[in-house]
Amino acid sequence: MAGNGEVLEGFICPICMTDFKAPNHLTKHFEEVHNDDPEILKSLKDLFGKAKKKILKQDDIPETFQSSVPQDKRRSPEINWGPQEIGAITTHTKYFKDIRNARLERYAYETNKLLIRLDKLLNNLPSDPVDRKVHERAIVPWIDEKDVKLCPNCAKSFHLARRKHHCRLCGAVMCHNCTVFLSLGDARKMTSPVSIQDDSALSSTSERALSERIVRAGIGLTKLARSPSNGSLNSVLSLVNDPASGEQHFRVCTHCINLLDAREMQKAKQFAKPIVCEFYEKMRGYMSEASQHLAMYNKMWESLQEGETTYDVEDAQSLRVKLAKLGENIDATSKRILILGAKKDVQDPQEIQSQELRLYQMVRTSAMIFLKEELLTLQPLSSVEEYVALREERQNRIEARIAYERQLEEDQREKSKEQRKRDTWNLDNSPSMKVNQAPTVVTQSQGWGPSNVTSIMSSSMDPIIEQMSNLRAYIKQARADCKYDEVATLESNLRELQSAYFAMKQSNSNDG
Amino acid sequence: MKILLMDKQTTSIVSLLYSQSEILMKEVYLFERIDTAVHNDTLKHLTCIVFVRPTKENIDLLCKELKYPKYGVYYIYFSNIIAKADIKLLAESDEREVVREVHEYYADYLAINPHLFSLGINACSEGLTWDPVHLHRTVQGITSVLLSLKKCPYIRYQNSSNMAKRLAEKIREVLSKESSSFEFRQESNPILLIVDRRDDPVTPLLNQWTYQAMVHELLTINNNRVNLSHVKGISKELKEVVLSAEHDDFYANNLYLNFGEIGQTIKELMEEFQKKAKKHQKVESIADMKHFVETYPLFKKLSGTVSKHVTVVGELSSLVEKHNLLEVSELEQELSCQTDHSSQLQKIKALINNQKVRDIDTVRLVMLYALHYEKYANNDINGLVELLKKRNVSDKYIKLVYNILEYSGVNARQSNLFDREAVAKITKKLFKGLSGVDNIYTQHCPLISETLEDLIKGKLNTQIFPYLGNMIMSKRPQDVIVFMIGGATYEESLAVYNLNKQNPGIKIVLGGTTIHNFKSFAEEVHHATSGILMRYKIGKN
Repeated sequence: MAGNGEVLEGFICPICMTDFKAPNHLTKHFEEVHNDDPEILKSLKDLFGKAKKKILKQDDIPETFQSSVPQDKRRSPEINWGPQEIGAITTHTKYFKDIRNARLERYAYETNKLLIRLDKLLNNLPSDPVDRKVHERAIVPWIDEKDVKLCPNCAKSFHLARRKHHCRLCGAVMCHNCTVFLSLGDARKMTSPVSIQDDSALSSTSERALSERIVRAGIGLTKLARSPSNGSLNSVLSLVNDPASGEQHFRVCTHCINLLDAREMQKAKQFAKPIVCEFYEKMRGYMSEASQHLAMYNKMWESLQEGETTYDVEDAQSLRVKLAKLGENIDATSKRILILGAKKDVQDPQEIQSQELRLYQMVRTSAMIFLKEELLTLQPLSSVEEYVALREERQNRIEARIAYERQLEEDQREKSKEQRKRDTWNLDNSPSMKVNQAPTVVTQSQGWGPSNVTSIMSSSMDPIIEQMSNLRAYIKQARADCKYDEVATLESNLRELQSAYFAMKQSNSNDG
Repeated sequence: MKILLMDKQTTSIVSLLYSQSEILMKEVYLFERIDTAVHNDTLKHLTCIVFVRPTKENIDLLCKELKYPKYGVYYIYFSNIIAKADIKLLAESDEREVVREVHEYYADYLAINPHLFSLGINACSEGLTWDPVHLHRTVQGITSVLLSLKKCPYIRYQNSSNMAKRLAEKIREVLSKESSSFEFRQESNPILLIVDRRDDPVTPLLNQWTYQAMVHELLTINNNRVNLSHVKGISKELKEVVLSAEHDDFYANNLYLNFGEIGQTIKELMEEFQKKAKKHQKVESIADMKHFVETYPLFKKLSGTVSKHVTVVGELSSLVEKHNLLEVSELEQELSCQTDHSSQLQKIKALINNQKVRDIDTVRLVMLYALHYEKYANNDINGLVELLKKRNVSDKYIKLVYNILEYSGVNARQSNLFDREAVAKITKKLFKGLSGVDNIYTQHCPLISETLEDLIKGKLNTQIFPYLGNMIMSKRPQDVIVFMIGGATYEESLAVYNLNKQNPGIKIVLGGTTIHNFKSFAEEVHHATSGILMRYKIGKN
């Protein structure tokens, strides 16, 4: 076949005679280039359709198919694009703090100034009212009251009933309603450093008492600070207060007390920790412990179920009991937190109802979820006998495999010479050399190390026996700490050691 | 112990992604709204995590909160770019030094599926132009999407749409203003394609038959939640069900299956459940009891899933039955894909006279008819409207027939929606005969999938979809973000999903100002066409 009569094979366009790789390429080409002739296209497609049905049984479906058949993806969950990279993040913390610090420094400066003055005022404070005034004015220069026509805080004019008063800390003139009294006791507390307060309190009472005291002090202060707003009540109070115990107070303007107050709050915040926090921390502690043990337990359970001998059934059982106990503890603590809310509820039904109670309820709910999701789904352990059966099964399986592998090796072994056999015999003796190194490796595993075990044995004893007794002590410790992985490795080491020791003894007796 | 302080929008953003119990496990026990919290009690032992949008109101509220802090420590996270001046305001309010950290974590959008996001804006335009508030929100939403995906894309937009052009320009403005934030490695040639709903008004008019789309069309999904309280005799815990692909395997596996297949899988689910339930029934020995207690949580979870989906699917099928939806849908598909004026007109008339068919379905049909035969010489739009009036369909809906022509008549459209189908028809029919599985209820294929196919192949017309600026990308895009002004639909989400499946190595993410069903789309059209001079007069008979 030569010249013009050349036979073309493949997917060839009947109009322009181009060769195509696949039928769908050809149809596409047809649609794009020669779509003016639907008749040919139709016949072409029919042809392909029939041919495909017969030959390919539709195993490669062209793309156009899929777009027209949208429901061809049964059981296809969401597209998995793999873990998404975490998106961009911009941090403004530094900028924020720079601005804040610049501003706060000014406050801090003022507050410190006030504290120093307060300290000076308290030092050698004369009890006589006249002397005291002199003392006060010597430390803080008072503004001339003639210059002040209106109270700078409330902008009300002064008269007989609204008299002028000087703030003992800044010297400014205010009306009575815009000033408060700072008791000497509170003032002393403010000026004494936190650490001293801390020490003295710790020596006498418990920590909680201290924190309560400070909280009370804080509350007292805030009440003091707020009182000017409800004027009428305050004026009544002042009548009671003023003449009787005038010496025990400093008159201070609201501006100054706010500054001091803020500082006190800061101080108090370090100590103020309601009881809930204690309970809560305890609960979190239990939870993290539980989740640690849980991971271990699941590992053990799987291994046991496989019939492996790495872990002990009894160990797993004791861990299970421990987990159950932790679960009970979590349950009990969260219940106590809930009761805490209920108790307060009785005292002050309206206020607590809102956030605090809800908080306690949610803590309880989360504890319940934790218990439900984590601890209630614990896989049950089968009895010891079942595990023995499982283990035997596995043993059988392994033996079968070993036997099979041996069979394979048999051929090779037959070819090998006697010298090689001697080599293997030599190898059998080698474990006694390994033994001495093994324990040192073990003790470093995974960040857990037994605390020093005082060697009970005298050094004169056989080093292997000493090693073994050490190992036993380690195992005991590891078990107490729930480090069952270590227990397993240690035990296998111990077994190795024992067998080596036994072998050595035997060879010794053979020699002797 | 922590508390999460959010605003209205971030609440929905977070609730779409995390279940309450998941958040609880992170030691967050309280959830408060920043705009409603009026509590006097202080809980100083709580750590407060603030996650809000950087709006003016939120900044003000936050300033107030920081001046008189209720909680011990604050960590502040904004869902979008915040102005330096606002940070300064906050810093000056923080006199008690309670703030520990301030960050921007970009998540200013509703992530519905891995490839689908929405901004939750209903009716974004007025008088066929942007409502400035919504435009601002849209720009913010898209920039946060770009930042969270770490993309600085080329922008292409639909030339015929002014809204698309304005949005594209606004986005470029932000990109150049915040250029330091957008310095990502660009290997995948990302592209942002902005299209306008007005170019494809047909898709949101159709009844849907895939699970997710159908639930949204008939029952309305709102932030993964479906309200079932109108269903008769519904139990208390099923009044509002949560459909979240993240937390519900059954839903995740069946999102895109069609209604018939759902029936099948739900049957399988039931059978599985019954098998388990039967196992539980014979609790005789102590061992059985123990086993029961141990597997109970799983059992409970399964039973919850079963009852939820059985209820939803049951409700769907009763609606389908009650309102002749199969028949309606068949005609809808015909109207959208085939041209046969007289017989289609007859069928529409018959369905309008059928009292079982819902009003909105008749309106849908007339709207589709009007869109399809707007320029057809003998069209009978007014006659059909008269029929609707006779049926006592509400005026608002009747007006919608003319509104849609205004919104997206032939003059407004760039691509010829119906002729496009005509060209493809021959091949389609051919293949239909061949495969025999094509579903008459899912013939329609949204315009967006064609546009995207062209884009992937690098064949998208640069006249119709020009690049913003002078740059032109020569390589084929691998990362595509499509944004649809005026709202996307779940049908389009499915189309994008299929494109993603068919083109491994290409990532397409679809977004919209909202996710439409017919009702919300009707609102959109109503709003968009309010306040413009109507070219199409009602009752010009």
